[in-house]
Amino acid sequence: MIDADEQLSDQQALARLASRARCSVLRLGHAAGGTGAHYGPALSLVEVMTAIYSMARVAPGVGTDLERDRVILSKGHGSLALYTVLHEFGHIPDDVLETAELDGTRLPGQPICDRELGIEFSSGSLGMGLGYGVGLALSARMMQSGRRIFVVMGDGETNEGSVWEAAMAATHFGLGSITAVIDVNDLQSDGATSDIMSFDHAAGWAGFGWEVIEVDGHSIPALQAAIAQKPSGRPRCILARTVKGKGISFMEAVPEWHHGRLTEPQYAEAHDELRGGEPR
Amino acid sequence: MTNEEALKKAFCEGLGVNEDEIDWGTLQYRGIEQWDSVAHMQVVAEIEDAFDIMMDIDDVIAMSDFKATKEILQKYDVRFP
Amino acid sequence: MTNLPNPRGLSRLGPRGTFGTALLAAAELNPRVVGVTADLAITAGLERFRVKYPERLLNVGIAEQNLVGIAAGLAEDGWQPFAATFANFAAMRSNEFVRHHLGYMRQKVSVVGIGAGFAMGQFGTTHYSLEDVSALRAIPNLTILSPGDCTEVFQAVLALANDPQPCYLRLSGAPSMRPVDQSDTSFQIGRARVLSTGSDVTIVGTGSMLSVAAGAAGILQERGISVGVVNVHTIKPLDEDAIRGLIGSTGAVVTVEEHSILGGLGAAVAEILSAEAGSPPLRRIGVPDRFPKVGSYDFVLKQCGLTDLLVADEVGDWISRHRRAAAATT
Repeated sequence: MIDADEQLSDQQALARLASRARCSVLRLGHAAGGTGAHYGPALSLVEVMTAIYSMARVAPGVGTDLERDRVILSKGHGSLALYTVLHEFGHIPDDVLETAELDGTRLPGQPICDRELGIEFSSGSLGMGLGYGVGLALSARMMQSGRRIFVVMGDGETNEGSVWEAAMAATHFGLGSITAVIDVNDLQSDGATSDIMSFDHAAGWAGFGWEVIEVDGHSIPALQAAIAQKPSGRPRCILARTVKGKGISFMEAVPEWHHGRLTEPQYAEAHDELRGGEPR
Repeated sequence: MTNEEALKKAFCEGLGVNEDEIDWGTLQYRGIEQWDSVAHMQVVAEIEDAFDIMMDIDDVIAMSDFKATKEILQKYDVRFP
Repeated sequence: MTNLPNPRGLSRLGPRGTFGTALLAAAELNPRVVGVTADLAITAGLERFRVKYPERLLNVGIAEQNLVGIAAGLAEDGWQPFAATFANFAAMRSNEFVRHHLGYMRQKVSVVGIGAGFAMGQFGTTHYSLEDVSALRAIPNLTILSPGDCTEVFQAVLALANDPQPCYLRLSGAPSMRPVDQSDTSFQIGRARVLSTGSDVTIVGTGSMLSVAAGAAGILQERGISVGVVNVHTIKPLDEDAIRGLIGSTGAVVTVEEHSILGGLGAAVAEILSAEAGSPPLRRIGVPDRFPKVGSYDFVLKQCGLTDLLVADEVGDWISRHRRAAAATT
């Protein structure tokens, strides 16, 4: 039997993959029950994670290959996007995925480093990923490895001073192997980033000596192009302009859905909306 | 005191308002300044005390207006004729 | 003095909601009280505060070190800042800032650690705070409070608004933290509350584990054991007289805390008792020295043996072992 996806273009296949991942985010978040889940910050990140894994040289089950590219999810509350996209790319098996956010799981609300599942980094405490990425990049240089390092952060996360210590170091050490992707969804826990801690990302990262590329963070081809762009020798910052809660209209750009709990009618409505676009 | 009266009293205590300030037909969560997330839990506690019940968290969340509250309380054998 | 709100209502709000409610009450009484937060105003229950006193709620973004630094600068001019963020970030990420500004410079800031212990459930280990008391206890000049139920959270906040000492307020316990009847005693910073006395064993609890201590005591009493309960809501300065008072009056001492068994309440009590001749044996119950598996609040507590029944069983077994050992040596 021919897999229907094989008859589609790569882009159509990736778009379908992202759409399946988005459905899984909703399903797993809802199955977590009790105290709710981080829907908004995962839904804004689905295309970003899809584009990165479509480009990164990381094969499932080779978490010990030193040459592999490293994908570091620094904004741990985007965990459901990481898990579902890793699942789509064959890193996380079906049965493990279904345990996400359940008691004692390997896939809790914030990721635990688990190289067998393709999870490179324990996260949840913000501002930890970029410095680690600088270390990985320096190590790669010392070992003459050609690997790339992707560090995914939230826009709110860049409030943390440690991000800027690492940003300064990456420029100082000339680490062109680092690509930071900022999920610029314009919201953080307490509200709009412009109200809580406003910041001009494009000017800020450029000011720290980084190459800055701004893209539509829900366009997989645009993200891929930014990742594939010819190296400049400087660390690269991709500003992915996204919508928090993307794909579920009552969640889109609504701060309360940073972390929340769906009632059954809300779940049904969200489910229908996600499935309404394209048949599975 | 009827259940309806007891429920109204619980709302007034929890919200910290007098009964004559409230339009029961339109009263809803965040509909008036006093009914915010803090007052919501005070109202829940007052209702629990008044009817000697313990509400599930789903019901606490679903308690969005006066009418909905009455419907939810049926589950706890609190009847409103 | 404000009237205390309905204890059940506070319990429904949980420690975070209670903190926000209490801070609003404190702000109404004292115009110098300000709230400072690192993008957690809503999570810390400060929504109502933000609506009522928008100019007195300062949000510094997700930047916990800066949170403590900014709060200290405000304190210099006589403001009474309450700086709230998750307990692990407050105590550990900002540790040296607390040491410098609150300990060394003695700026009167109340750093409020919300979601201490396992309260953040599925958020996982990065949001669990199991080492915060240990990380802060050696800092001079710092008071450490750990209220045992929501009413006590309320009392602690009001007391701090008029207390000159820099403080770390540890808020453990999940939403619907159980109330403990302490109506026979009063809340005073630095004074332990003796809820009951027992000749066989005394359980010293703090924070969320006060209700567990009380629950375990009830179970043990039904098994014929005479159990006392002491609430140490002030871990530093520890009420040394109350701890020394246990010597000779109770057969054994147990501490219970939702914190690592290293460096917290148990260690503080051990430091007093180990210096005294004739001290009763001490058992420290808390989180073992490892990161537990992540899950819901109740799941993790159970895993660590921190429920009424599991604590009762552990205390009961320990006492019987001690009695057998004592009988064997005589």
